[in-house]
Amino acid sequence: MTELKEHDKDINSFLEFASEDAAASVAASANQDGPLAGLTFGVKDNIAVEGMHLTCGSKMLKDFVSPYDATAVRKLKEAGAVCVGKTNLDEFGMGSSTDNSALAVTNNPWDLECVCGGSSGGSAAAVAAGLVPFALGTDTGGSVRQPASFCGVYGLKPTYGVVSRFGLVAYASSLEVCGILADSVDTTRKVFEVIKGKDGSDQTSIDHIPASADAETVAVLAGDLGLKPEVETAYKKAVDGLKSSGMKIIEVELPMLDYGIAAYYTIAMAEASANLARYNGVRYGHRSAEAGSFEDLMRMSRDEGFGDEVKLRILLGTYVLRSGFQDQYYTRAQKIRTAVRNEFDGVFTKADMIMLPAFPTAAFKHGDQSLDQFQQKLADKFTVAANLSGMPAMSVPVSVENGLPVGMQLMAPVFAEERIFKVAEKLAEVLPPAACPLSMAGQRTTEAK
Amino acid sequence: MEKDDLLITAAQAQLALSAEEAGRLETAVSEMLDYFEMMNEVDVSNLPPTTHALVRENALREDNPNPNNNQEDLVNRAPENEDNFIVIPNVL
Repeated sequence: MTELKEHDKDINSFLEFASEDAAASVAASANQDGPLAGLTFGVKDNIAVEGMHLTCGSKMLKDFVSPYDATAVRKLKEAGAVCVGKTNLDEFGMGSSTDNSALAVTNNPWDLECVCGGSSGGSAAAVAAGLVPFALGTDTGGSVRQPASFCGVYGLKPTYGVVSRFGLVAYASSLEVCGILADSVDTTRKVFEVIKGKDGSDQTSIDHIPASADAETVAVLAGDLGLKPEVETAYKKAVDGLKSSGMKIIEVELPMLDYGIAAYYTIAMAEASANLARYNGVRYGHRSAEAGSFEDLMRMSRDEGFGDEVKLRILLGTYVLRSGFQDQYYTRAQKIRTAVRNEFDGVFTKADMIMLPAFPTAAFKHGDQSLDQFQQKLADKFTVAANLSGMPAMSVPVSVENGLPVGMQLMAPVFAEERIFKVAEKLAEVLPPAACPLSMAGQRTTEAK
Repeated sequence: MEKDDLLITAAQAQLALSAEEAGRLETAVSEMLDYFEMMNEVDVSNLPPTTHALVRENALREDNPNPNNNQEDLVNRAPENEDNFIVIPNVL
């Protein structure tokens, strides 16, 4: 544990490490015959781990300690894995850099001046730095896949509902899933097999009914996609890589992608405004010391506890749900959600899989003015479709350009995670993922039993 | 969005925005609302709304009582509590 803390000093991927004693006693009593025995893992700090903080990267929950484990965490522990700590994130999962965390700044282990991506940035950085072979994240609009791309690791957003959200702090309930950041396809698969499955504690959870794992044809986007040169180059390399592994490539167009961003943010913010209404300074979380009345207690606790990005989304969400505006925004967004989904369903009649970039840029520098919060939202155009439609998608490291990793996203119909894993393995043979220069290589267990 | 509208929305969202904060957020809110306008370009007349990606029906289960012994543990997480109650300012 001391070694992990020392190695994390410049990266700052963890907000909290398990105490030496707690980790030792958990490791001693862990299921030595479980499928994940011997593996350590990190947990994004919006997912509950009993006895550890659950801050959501927010001043609102800075001192909150979780009384129970999330279902995914419980299953991992039962499978023999040992949780070593909680990782940094954009406040309540809202952002693309982890710089929206109110509690700490996390640096990209490939270049400490760059962001690690977000919102599951701490989890991605921890895996890239070799601190843990895998970490849990959450993906509402790309929050597992984009940081995976920025940090050169694998990042799976499973089919909606297949992994229980019990113990995951709600942001946008109809879009978010619990996902996996890992150092290999094999680790991702093993962790997914453990955490998936219907859970009585989450009414939206469903059983996983595996779809065909066969893939022959991969659809890619044609034309100018507005990518930075390093991502353009990586996309071409990945297409060539698929061809050399025997895949057939077809070119398609997805005109709904741009509208998908507007629909996604309308829905996500509407759901956020409702989900975050629970933070009112009464039962838990930050309470304003200044408030004299009950109403002030709520209003001031929320104002003091939330950061700007969270307030922005609550305001917009409240606005689009105001009476008189619902049809114009929220209902229309839900209809466009259907159109996005229909468009992808159409492509899946011609192709077994789609490959898109995870993000139009590689990791950018902290405070980069050319990519402000608004521009970062528009850049989610390749990732939000999977959340709107529910399909699984995984960011796969394919290249290192100018010293920074770039990942591509493999997307498949619902329940076809294994199809994605197989193609990702083929890609890894022709484009082997590079190790991060700052990785604690050799000091960890990378292969599960 | 006009400033008045922003303040009405903030009141509905139970957010005590300072004037400085309202000024800072006003631009960002308007920028996103302008962006949302592009949704009007899509003909949605024959499209049903999607509320959830994969959930088709209500999830029902037997209503069986289960023991829950962490009541004290939960009340203790409140910012202020007394005799197993959560304390708030007077409402009357």
